[in-house]
Amino acid sequence: MDDGRAAGSVRAPATEAPLSEAQSGLWFAQRLDPANPIFNTAHYVDIRGDLDIEAFRAAVDQTAVEAEALSLRLVERGGAVVQTLDPAHRPFLRIVDVSGAVDPAAEAMAAMRRDHETPLDPTRDPLAANILFRMEARRFLWSLRVHHLATDGFGMALLTNRVAELYNAARGGPAPGLAFNPIAKVWDEDAAYRASDKRTADAAYWRDIMGDAPEVASLAPGKATTAHRFHRIERTLPPEVTARLRARADAGRLSWPDVLTAIGAAYVRRFSGAEEAVIGVPWMGRMGSASARTPAMIMNVPPLRLTLDEDAPLDEQLILASKALIRTRRHGRYRSEQLRRDLGLIGGARRLYGPLVNVLPFDLPPRFAGLDTTLKVLGTGPVDDISFTFRGDADPALTLEVDANPDLYSLEEAAAHGERLAAFLANALDAETLGEVPIATPEEAARELEAFNATAYPVPDTTLTALLEAAMKATPDAPALTFGERTLTYAELDRRTAQLASALAARGVGREAVVAVALPRSLELVIALIAVLRAGGAYLPLDLEHPPERIAAIVRAADPTVVLADQDIGGAFGEALLTPVDWPLDGASPVVDQAGEDAAYVIYTSGSTGEPKGVLVEHRAIVNRLLWMQAEYGIGAHSRILQKTPAAFDVSVWEFFLALISGGELVVAPPAAHRDPAALAGLIRRHAVTDLHFVPSMLSAFLADPAAKEITVAHVFCSGEELSAELRDRFHQTVKAELHNLYGPTEAAVDVSYWAAGPEDRSRPVPIGRPVWNTRLVILDERLRPVAHGMGGHLHLGGVQLARGYLNRPDLTEDRFIPDPHHPGQRLYRTGDVARRRADGAVVYLGRSDHQVKIRGLRIELGEIEAAVIASGLARETVVLAREDRPGERRLVAYLVPAEGYDPVALKAALAARLPDYMVPAAIVALDALPTTSNGKLDRKALPAPVFEAAAGRAAQTPTEKIIAELFAETLGRAEPAGADDDFFTLGGDSLLAVHLMMLIRERLGRDPGLGALFDRPRVVELAAQIDAEALDFDNGLGVLIRVAEGDPALPPLFLIHPAGGLSWGYRTLARALSPRRTVWGVQSPALDPKNALPDGIEALASVYVDHILALGAPNFQPMGPVHLAGWSVGGVIAQAAAVELERRGVEVGLMAMLDSYPAECWRAEPEPDPVDALRALLAIAGYDPTQYPELRSRAAILAFLKAGDSALGGLPEAALDGVIRVVLDTNRLVRKHHHQPFGGRTTHVRAALDHKERDLTPGLWRPYAAELDVVEVPFLHPQLTGPAATALIAPALDVRMTAAEEKMR
Amino acid sequence: MTKLTPQDLTLERMRADVAAVLHEAPEAILDDDNLMDLGVDSLRVLNLSLQWSETVSLEFSELAEHVTLAEWWAIIRQKRAALGVES
Repeated sequence: MDDGRAAGSVRAPATEAPLSEAQSGLWFAQRLDPANPIFNTAHYVDIRGDLDIEAFRAAVDQTAVEAEALSLRLVERGGAVVQTLDPAHRPFLRIVDVSGAVDPAAEAMAAMRRDHETPLDPTRDPLAANILFRMEARRFLWSLRVHHLATDGFGMALLTNRVAELYNAARGGPAPGLAFNPIAKVWDEDAAYRASDKRTADAAYWRDIMGDAPEVASLAPGKATTAHRFHRIERTLPPEVTARLRARADAGRLSWPDVLTAIGAAYVRRFSGAEEAVIGVPWMGRMGSASARTPAMIMNVPPLRLTLDEDAPLDEQLILASKALIRTRRHGRYRSEQLRRDLGLIGGARRLYGPLVNVLPFDLPPRFAGLDTTLKVLGTGPVDDISFTFRGDADPALTLEVDANPDLYSLEEAAAHGERLAAFLANALDAETLGEVPIATPEEAARELEAFNATAYPVPDTTLTALLEAAMKATPDAPALTFGERTLTYAELDRRTAQLASALAARGVGREAVVAVALPRSLELVIALIAVLRAGGAYLPLDLEHPPERIAAIVRAADPTVVLADQDIGGAFGEALLTPVDWPLDGASPVVDQAGEDAAYVIYTSGSTGEPKGVLVEHRAIVNRLLWMQAEYGIGAHSRILQKTPAAFDVSVWEFFLALISGGELVVAPPAAHRDPAALAGLIRRHAVTDLHFVPSMLSAFLADPAAKEITVAHVFCSGEELSAELRDRFHQTVKAELHNLYGPTEAAVDVSYWAAGPEDRSRPVPIGRPVWNTRLVILDERLRPVAHGMGGHLHLGGVQLARGYLNRPDLTEDRFIPDPHHPGQRLYRTGDVARRRADGAVVYLGRSDHQVKIRGLRIELGEIEAAVIASGLARETVVLAREDRPGERRLVAYLVPAEGYDPVALKAALAARLPDYMVPAAIVALDALPTTSNGKLDRKALPAPVFEAAAGRAAQTPTEKIIAELFAETLGRAEPAGADDDFFTLGGDSLLAVHLMMLIRERLGRDPGLGALFDRPRVVELAAQIDAEALDFDNGLGVLIRVAEGDPALPPLFLIHPAGGLSWGYRTLARALSPRRTVWGVQSPALDPKNALPDGIEALASVYVDHILALGAPNFQPMGPVHLAGWSVGGVIAQAAAVELERRGVEVGLMAMLDSYPAECWRAEPEPDPVDALRALLAIAGYDPTQYPELRSRAAILAFLKAGDSALGGLPEAALDGVIRVVLDTNRLVRKHHHQPFGGRTTHVRAALDHKERDLTPGLWRPYAAELDVVEVPFLHPQLTGPAATALIAPALDVRMTAAEEKMR
Repeated sequence: MTKLTPQDLTLERMRADVAAVLHEAPEAILDDDNLMDLGVDSLRVLNLSLQWSETVSLEFSELAEHVTLAEWWAIIRQKRAALGVES
């Protein structure tokens, strides 16, 4: 027989065999975890009556001999392991008399527990033990414990039944049946099956059945690896349920165990929310085998996939399940461990099946003549996940045991599953379809709907406008709004918004009128928003970074009464446009009788139908949201909230208004600053910001920047995408602030739930938390029933914060805002988010139920992109996916079937014209046809991963391109360097990776093009060109004047005078911070060129510089404008001398700023510095921290280090380096002999406030030489002043002074 | 249902019982058919063993070891013989 069964053998019985496949898995598991006792299976029989102890002992001992597996011993030999029989290991009965104990039962139970909780070494220890505990004269507990290697559950039943049979025969009952088969028969069958064609056929069957199985979902997240113990819950199913079970099975001509299995699977499918149930169905594997009469480890757990259509008749589904079970049994011998290997499911979190559903109709207590017995199972082996075991004959006895892995389930959760499954089963047995069977218990439903949502809180019936106006009246002189150096008080804000509101009213704006606002972040933007509200209207923010076509489409759809913008974008605004220059300078706010249900704002989000949709939010909704946040986080007059989120993203709503309704100060970030970590850090420090928001991906980039270190604020709020536990922890290591995770869609007034993610929070994942005031978060199933506790479901929102709906789209509104079936008269918003509730009621976000994705926190409907692809006319069919081919790297990919004239470049251009940049797919893949599954659905799994490469691309060529291409690859984890035309973000870069790339560029090239440059020029060739352009300046730039940054030619430039080294390269960061507004020149020492003589003194040097500056003239700057000067360290001393010289020549000086410079007399008394120290100053000029390299103490060593380090300085010609060294060494001489002249203008001194601990160096030392002294203190050390963190403070301070000086001149 | 006697348990009676649990006609069940392949599972064997043990002492495991009607009949015939029933 080719299936290996009943292999008739004439050989002498073997006494040794390799491990069976079934044993091998257990052996390896036990070997991996030798201290784990869970591989011991155990039960005891509670015996009452006059037990004939000698007959019992004889029966047990004979069984111990017959059941050869009980004396198995494993032998390791040369790397392999075999099993052999060791007669010394036979489990002959031991009798323990506990009748003398105070509590004999407890004594016996404790002894049993000790026994079966003792891990066994199968190479050494006997695998089985029989113990009879004598509790009293007529009460005994018979304990049988066997390692799983020797037997399975069926074998345990064989053993107890055999003992009963022998006992009964000895007591005069019928003659016993045949003895057990020798174990060698089982070994022979195993060997025959392993070599059989049947096994090959089984393997093929399973690969076919399971090859396309979905990701297996279970009832709890986590890795299913057995613990050392398990939870056990046992409940008896009532006789009326077992009666209905048998009746339903009989009616369908089914077997009742199959019906139980199918309904158990239906429970698993429903709870897990998966498309299919994939459960394990333990199979005893005895049919037609010698092992039917042999205790041995035979049992297998094949997988069972069931689709279980909940809308189809249940009887049909039961028949399908029964057929699937029959097929499973036919191939049930093929080991699931092997199948796992076949399918590549070894290790990691991928599973073959989820929970087990096990039906054991055979497991009845043994029948001992004249005795009452009950059987209690203590352990059946490893519990990887959760097992539902039905034990009994259902006539009527049937118990449900829930065994659960304590690493994945609490005891309460395991008990809840038992209770729920019992109820689900009882209901299903009466149901026509599975769909009509609820899963939550009534208590769970009540908790989900009400107890978790007891958020009622009295909020005044008012409007956002009224709150703003009240705050304006309350503290008119307090600062309300700051942008750059401009600050408006509440009174000024009141006046300016009233003026614009009157103009809006004059143009017909009133209640329910929509006013579009398309202004960059500025004071005017905030004034515009408030003015719209004060005129009674609703504002509609437009994102200036979106393509004009999209802006025009939104304006067409919303039809605003007025558009507040700088210019008419794409000609879409027409007559409605009102530009800031036309805003009136007088007028009072119109009196509007506004109500809570009036529209407050409209924000457009991506729409799956291809058109963006406008969410209309009413005043009372946003009032609830703002007042909740004010109370929850103690926002008040002391608060300074940073406004950095683009207005078209709804997070901006609370940023704009929360400070202003609380008497606090709103700090408006410059446009584009929201993407620049260093700039943000500077803003936070400069304005002492207390509260701000980050999208988690941007928070990640922010924390990665050195400038973020030790920032201290009151609250940081995250929302927009998942806040990972890793990011939370990194946050608390870097920043001192409370961290709060908020959640909510635009459709429910920004946020509806909150979670404090403090340093003590260990949640993984970080929850989205609990509902805010007057808000409900309910998790419902497909039929809008509350889910069972802990089950995933569709998150629905209810309460006062719900939006009115989508502007002018009643169809879309009706689809997403549905009547609340549990609260008549109220509405629910279908978020499309899938969520789960933790035991404490906190909600955890699990994912999306539709095709909405988020990239960098921005909400994207893939349908909108698909519609744009089709609208281009270049594709016949398309599907757009957000792929995550590398963890944490989500990219949009468009798959399409090309239409006539298809051209990928033209398509990308068409998409870019219509969609915001973050919605343009990173890759486009043309296919002959979109793959489909057998039932005609799109087969997403069959879509190929896109190959990101430079399609038309040349390789990187110039040295800089090559380095950048390599750094792209290094940052993005690619094996090959990027192509010259590859785009960093297209290749998968995100803002966090961008920060890393910038660090690498700083290291390798010694240049810092800035994060902004990467966003502007993300392609290798562009970024390299940008870096080369800067380098070119420097390479050519050993002359006296070099242009460090290019700015507006209409503004007078700033001249930054070199420090001791004679070079101005160190001013790169400061110069970039001042551009693109202002051109910045570096002034360098002529002595860098060894051909030039050393200057006679500072005054002579200053005079040379003034000559150069004035010679520069138009068109480089307007000669009639003031000359702005600044310098760091010695550069400040020279700047002062140059200012004196300019004054002498009658040229107006604007800014004259010294960055931590002190008069020459401070140094004259000092000893001459060590020439080596002067040399070491070169390291600082090159961008290194000299204190890190104490070993570099000679000219040769320093030069070699600089050359090897690939810094820009190291690339200088030898002669130029000589020049630098010469200048460094000469500077001390010049300073010491210099005598300052007084400067008649204003001297601005930027003091490194953290420095000068040893000497009392103060700006006041300049007083003898300064007609007017203006001091700026920054919290840094002297050497840090030209770095990015200090620059964030210094650049704006310089800029505002230059502007003031220019205004004074006019 | 009247109580069965050992004489009643014949090969044809067993064939009819097996056919009934499979919803098949008795003539469709041949002596050497693999009953597992025809859909006889352990529960059905259990039920058959309970049914037949009314006549002869029979354990589920004795039947389960084999998968053809011929083999089952051989077991029953032995047990009938032990009880003195002629085949």
